[in-house]
Amino acid sequence: MKKLLVVALALVMVVAIFACEKAPAPEPAPVGDGGDTIVAPVTISTIEAIKERGVLRAGVKDSVVPFGFVGEKERELVGFDVDICRYIAKKLKVKVKFTAVTSANRIQMLTDGQVDILAATMTHKIERDEVIDFSITYFMDGQKLLVPKDSEIASIDDLAGLKVGSVKGSTSEKNVKEAQPDCEVISFEGYPEAFLALKQGKVVAMTTDSVILVGLMGSDDNPEDWKIVGDFFSSEPYGLGLPNNDSEWRDFVNFTLMEMWRNGEWKKIYDKWLGEDTKYYMPLSWEIELWP
Amino acid sequence: MSHARTQKLTRIILKAATVVILLLLLLSEILFSSITLFFKSMITVIFTYPYGVIYNNLMFFLFGLRGKIGGLTLTILVAAVSLLLAFIAGIIFGLMRNSRRWWLSYPAIGYIELVRSVPLILVIFWFCFFPPGLSETLKSVGRVYYGIFALIAFTGAYIAEIVRAGILSVSKGQMEASRSSGLTHTQAMIYIILPQALKNMIPSLVNQFVSLIKDTSLLWFVGVMEFTSTIFATSNREVNTTVTMGLYFFAAVVYFLVCYPLTASSRKLEKKLGVGER
Amino acid sequence: MIKKARELKVEASILINRYRFIFYPLYFLAIALFIYFVVYKILLVNVLNIEFNYKLNYAIFFTNYIEATRQSYVDLYVLGVITTIKISIISLVVAMSLGTVLAIFRLSNVKVLDIFAKSYIEFIRNTPLLIQIFFWYFGTDPLLPKVFTTWLKAQSNVEFAYGVIALSIYTSAFIAEEIRAGIQSIPKEQMEASRAQGFSFLQAMRLVILPQAIRIVIPPLISQSLNLTKYSSLVMSIGVVELMASSRFLFGGTARIFEALSVTTIIYLSLSLAISFALNQYNKYFLSYTRY
Repeated sequence: MKKLLVVALALVMVVAIFACEKAPAPEPAPVGDGGDTIVAPVTISTIEAIKERGVLRAGVKDSVVPFGFVGEKERELVGFDVDICRYIAKKLKVKVKFTAVTSANRIQMLTDGQVDILAATMTHKIERDEVIDFSITYFMDGQKLLVPKDSEIASIDDLAGLKVGSVKGSTSEKNVKEAQPDCEVISFEGYPEAFLALKQGKVVAMTTDSVILVGLMGSDDNPEDWKIVGDFFSSEPYGLGLPNNDSEWRDFVNFTLMEMWRNGEWKKIYDKWLGEDTKYYMPLSWEIELWP
Repeated sequence: MSHARTQKLTRIILKAATVVILLLLLLSEILFSSITLFFKSMITVIFTYPYGVIYNNLMFFLFGLRGKIGGLTLTILVAAVSLLLAFIAGIIFGLMRNSRRWWLSYPAIGYIELVRSVPLILVIFWFCFFPPGLSETLKSVGRVYYGIFALIAFTGAYIAEIVRAGILSVSKGQMEASRSSGLTHTQAMIYIILPQALKNMIPSLVNQFVSLIKDTSLLWFVGVMEFTSTIFATSNREVNTTVTMGLYFFAAVVYFLVCYPLTASSRKLEKKLGVGER
Repeated sequence: MIKKARELKVEASILINRYRFIFYPLYFLAIALFIYFVVYKILLVNVLNIEFNYKLNYAIFFTNYIEATRQSYVDLYVLGVITTIKISIISLVVAMSLGTVLAIFRLSNVKVLDIFAKSYIEFIRNTPLLIQIFFWYFGTDPLLPKVFTTWLKAQSNVEFAYGVIALSIYTSAFIAEEIRAGIQSIPKEQMEASRAQGFSFLQAMRLVILPQAIRIVIPPLISQSLNLTKYSSLVMSIGVVELMASSRFLFGGTARIFEALSVTTIIYLSLSLAISFALNQYNKYFLSYTRY
């Protein structure tokens, strides 16, 4: 026991010294304005790095139908987000490599530089904008509730005291906790697990962005057993996540998105995954932001 | 004892027995019905199960995504590589732990106690989320490698304890004899003690390999496409209770088929080497 | 005079020798300084060009997790620790009783029970706990009687119950093997000798075999209960908010990895130390009569 005590003491001291040493660590030297004699640190912009590498590394979801999931026939990641990334890579004339991310680790992966672009059903939020940048809104959505057909729940107010399924680290989890503090939120690792729990009656409703709910409903054998209820209790504009302070790369992505909208490529991808012929039909009710 | 009292006792015993038998009958009814229900539903599931899901995705389960290593292959690869490297780390820390010099043994004790008292998932989070945020160079390393590092750091501590126990299991006389025949402490350790200790350690190492194979399933939390992740990805595409149940059971059976031969062989070895005997 | 000085010197050296463990943290401090300056400052920063830019901010724990209810991250951690302790204790009790029953099955002369217990133990021991947790939570619905599942779902914390089921079934297989090995390690002759002395079977079990077996079984049982506490972190995947889940909420919401994980590590470390200390004390004082 004495030995352990000594080890614990030593550990505390080591941590303390590292903490003390680190606290007054100097800020990284500010980048000088043009004309200064100080030589600014040369940072390679993302776009050049991608071209040099010849590969665009994109982070997409692997279990969100129809945005990013593993196709049964293709044994590859497919979906709306995946196709958007493919188009951007085609525009850059590079290959594309997909990495599966989750709601909990995606921002970390982007700030770590493990991916160049995040197309992972991510809502553009101001607090997220502190660490990463976002493109223009490429998909507009809001949060709703998915309940069984014969359920009496009509809006978020009816959820008091009941159980709602959601996903760890997602905005929808926080939104529902803020909008209805009385309900019990069960956080799973992915949306399909939450839907499965709803099917088995372990939660009475699940909540997330309505398009994901549509996707889940469509992947069920009997989509008519479910209904999506309530008003949008949050607005969720999806943006592509981009590395912080790299305006060249951000501009490129923004212009590409607008070009996609103008030449009909965006609509084609939308129809492929969310059009009338698919299981996940969702009428298009908004327009992308177009700069003249 | 008088005759009347015996009779009274008999009557009470008989009454109690009747109550017990009635209770048992009632319980057996419930037990029997629930067991039959269980088997009935099991048989229904077995006959109506869509086996196509497993058959269609078999390649995905075994080899993962196209063009990458994944699935069961990755699980076994990660486990084997981690075991190999953790074995080296384990021998080093085990010897340090056994050393009489405090500046060698205390860091080893600290490391072993620290790692053995936290869950593996915490070690994995430490390795997979913390270092990449620190510097540019560390960002380009893939997630699998961080996962392997975490498994090495975790298993290394357990193997260090196995090594220590193995060295202690070799009788003291061996060391004394080799010292008196002119070998130094280090020489005696390397040429006399360690080979014998290693032989005694083999069963425990095989067991450690089994738990490593099981533990690789936790890499699912950080998005490594190993066997468990492929199972979960498939069950997440088919959001269906019955399919999910079958997939999980299939996964359990596959893990069992991989692990059980190893466990059984380690038990056999244990018997053969007589390690388990006290 | 010289003699006195020498005596003093000897006394001082004895004192230093006796309290030398006080100096050990200082040695560690020296090692830490060495690592910090030589390994980190010179080798990593100057040679390999790896610099750590991470500013600690433990004040993040006192910010609000949910604004609506003013629940802070500290409250979340407290909730997590309580849940971890609760689930460990309940599962341990259930697993102990299940394990004992299985061990008795294993040792009994009835062939069917032996085979059942053996296959149960082997199957559970050789499959990952994560798969088992998911199987019990998501997969058992069609197998169980409807009455039972509806009753279970009406309870307030279903996830907790399923977590207890999975953890105790997993641990019981390990505990059963330990108990069986403990009882079997007592030579058969002891039983025969005590029967020859005129003890009944139960008396012999109670007075001769079990006291010795307990002495052998207790240490592995301590390590099993420690394992159980550690493995209880996996039930976060089905939505139980225990310690690991609360730390994930923290670093998912604020991207403060070091703060979240360091606090979690320290809590787990102290939990493990406390458990092993308490059980060792129990072993020392209350079971001392078993030392013949």
